[in-house]
Amino acid sequence: MNVLIIDPDDARAALVAEGLRLDESLTGAQIHHWPRFELARLSDINPDMVIIACESPDRDTLDALQIAHEQAPRPVAMFVDRSDANTTAQALEAGVAAYVVDGYSPNRVASILAVAAHRFNLMQTLRHDLTKAKADLAARKTIDRAKGVLMTSRGISEEEAYRLMRKHAMDSGRPIAAIAEDILSISDLLKKRDD
Amino acid sequence: MLSVRIGFSPLNDAALVVLAEVLGCYAAEGLDVSLSREANWSNIRDKLSYGLLDAAHVLATLPLARGLGLGPTIGQIIAPMALGANGNSVVISSKLKEVFEGMGASTLLESARALRLVIQHRRAVSEGKVTLAIPFNYSPHHFVLRHWLAAGGVDPDRQVQWVVLPPSRMADHLRDGVIDGFCSGSPWPQMAELNGDGVVLFSDPAFWTLKPEKVLALRGTWADEHPEEAVALTRAVLRAGQWAADPANANAMAEVLSQKIYVGAPLEAVQKALAPGGAGLILDPQTTTFPWISHAKWFIGQFVRWGLTEGDHDFDAIARRVYRPDLWRQAAEPLGLSLPLDDEKDEGGAAEAWTLPAEPNDILMPPNTLFDGGVFRVSRA
Repeated sequence: MNVLIIDPDDARAALVAEGLRLDESLTGAQIHHWPRFELARLSDINPDMVIIACESPDRDTLDALQIAHEQAPRPVAMFVDRSDANTTAQALEAGVAAYVVDGYSPNRVASILAVAAHRFNLMQTLRHDLTKAKADLAARKTIDRAKGVLMTSRGISEEEAYRLMRKHAMDSGRPIAAIAEDILSISDLLKKRDD
Repeated sequence: MLSVRIGFSPLNDAALVVLAEVLGCYAAEGLDVSLSREANWSNIRDKLSYGLLDAAHVLATLPLARGLGLGPTIGQIIAPMALGANGNSVVISSKLKEVFEGMGASTLLESARALRLVIQHRRAVSEGKVTLAIPFNYSPHHFVLRHWLAAGGVDPDRQVQWVVLPPSRMADHLRDGVIDGFCSGSPWPQMAELNGDGVVLFSDPAFWTLKPEKVLALRGTWADEHPEEAVALTRAVLRAGQWAADPANANAMAEVLSQKIYVGAPLEAVQKALAPGGAGLILDPQTTTFPWISHAKWFIGQFVRWGLTEGDHDFDAIARRVYRPDLWRQAAEPLGLSLPLDDEKDEGGAAEAWTLPAEPNDILMPPNTLFDGGVFRVSRA
């Protein structure tokens, strides 16, 4: 069996592919990845199933193949099994849709779709964690710089400077990183220009 | 406040759905709306089906395709209002445009006949078929191009190759010679022209002065469960229409639309499409937002004409189940709009402005003609 993954996001596509390889029901399957859909190359792969990221602009092209048979090597239809609306809804929410050749086993499709949806969610969580880690790191740098400003301008220790900022943060109900940013922007204003 | 999720595609004709948010019309109607910019029509259709969206800016044909049982079907989609008229353009390669000009083709009918000769010539010298792109199979774009071709004696099924492409990529395919022309919503045709990838051959009003194009779609079960909110939502969008219809707001509207979170195209392209001689988008709520049953029937007629559906449906019942003038009237009355007495009207055949019977005041309607002089006449009992 052949599975084609269409996703402009390489990392996410790799994650989905890995998930499918781990799926026992798919042993021996050929898994391909294209960043975008190319009608002319479809016959090279002749997929039994196409998994596509919902935000891909190419989805309508793929969707149209179920009508324009003569252009496609095989008819493709979106998998919509009403008895399993839940899986389809979850997949759509995660941002993935699947198209299968008519007559392909709905049970198998549901399990593949579930794997893809899970992987899409996983990727989203990873991205979110990474963004948060980056933001945390940036905040720590800002706080350190603000501490330095306080230490020089008021002649206090590092510990005192931090305590001062933390107290201000608690009193004003704002994150300490925001207080640090305020200190830095004000200190820039107060700086004498060299020229 | 009821939270409502509304999807839209990055096109100028999503204006009313977007403006209702920007102007605070949803909140004024007691709705907590979150807009979701969608990359393709299939996604909007499926999200409406599975309850991930409650409402959306969609092709006028999309709820009808669902009503006819075409495509993956689950649940009903209804249309309480149109989102204006017109807004699409047909773009062809500069090479094709030169050929048309060389043949002296200046009207739509003449250009379609010229294309027939091009098709015959290409076949004689064993060149590939003329290839045209549309954004979605069940779309007004598809029907407009087919109707135009057929008027010039071209068989759209056998003599033309059709491809479905995302509007944002059509210009590239035209430049690379993969396609000979395309029809899409603005501002993408204007963008293609500004980039020198092709030439606008005609826009909607040249085909049909008051062409139906997009509608506000509601998930049927959502509308059933929230009848008051369904009307309130329609009213919020109609309110945005009252603002958008004022020419004094044209610049502000173009600036909103060009923003990245909405259409996300250069202001110049958005303005070019909205300007006189552009894509002809009309947003006047009084004359272009009523969901005419005659529009639904014209579209269903096109589905049948091009073999996309069997002829054995109860078309009147489907049209009335999907297009909902009753909801439009409930939403429009408190805004002081006049309410048409009938749900259907003749489409085409009105070369001059004309009077539509309505309460409390008759409505002065713009001309309503098709390029081939055809009239789609409703049969009244």
